[in-house]
Amino acid sequence: MTKKRLSCPRCGAEMNNHAEKISYEEVAGGYKPDPVFGGVVEEIHTCPGCGNVESRTAG
Amino acid sequence: MESGRPIFIPVILGTTRKGRMSEHVANFMAREIVKQENVGTEVVDIRNIPFPTDDAGESIKHAGFSETAMKADAFVIVAPEYNHGYPGLLKHALDTNLKEYIHKAVGICGVSAGPFGGTRVIENLLPVMRELGLVAIFWDVNFSAVQKAFDENGKLLDEAYVKRAEKFIKELVWMAKVLRYGRENVEI
Repeated sequence: MTKKRLSCPRCGAEMNNHAEKISYEEVAGGYKPDPVFGGVVEEIHTCPGCGNVESRTAG
Repeated sequence: MESGRPIFIPVILGTTRKGRMSEHVANFMAREIVKQENVGTEVVDIRNIPFPTDDAGESIKHAGFSETAMKADAFVIVAPEYNHGYPGLLKHALDTNLKEYIHKAVGICGVSAGPFGGTRVIENLLPVMRELGLVAIFWDVNFSAVQKAFDENGKLLDEAYVKRAEKFIKELVWMAKVLRYGRENVEI
């Protein structure tokens, strides 16, 4: 199932998910690691309206 | 199709050392960047960002620096070569952001008093750029014998750097435009 797109908290436009990155710092902070990658998979979203960048944990 | 927002390329002055010649390099690069149509810049002097040194990484984000990185489409890093490496405080500053860098372009200007123009600091920075999610261009500007390239007031003494900078900046702007389109329109 496709995840719902993020709305930009700054301008309200629909953001684009263009990257995923493994974060090991978040594992150290107590987040549950992805069993395949050993870290937390973070999605990176950019707003085409204002250029704002947001991240969220992939799930 | 290009977005109407200007391309923004901050120049990171990557040393805090007193008497740094890299300051002249950073100011010169900023002057050259704004010659490009619809491109803006500012010099980010890491000396002016009060990062604590009793912690590191994203937990010590500086709001102003992170906002500048967020707005950026590309970065110019001006890095002097210290003992064949990069200044520790430059790495300390860069490490405070991550999502702000991903899929953005970067070009590196190496600075040295000797003849190699910071070649080794550039090579050492490239794997760091990759891990931060930045996309390095294949042009560099090497400021060798930098004390002869500028006078004490920052006036450029070697005009060859104007053409070298222009090639570097044109490549960086192209990459910045392409990556902005990708970030905003191409889903992973």
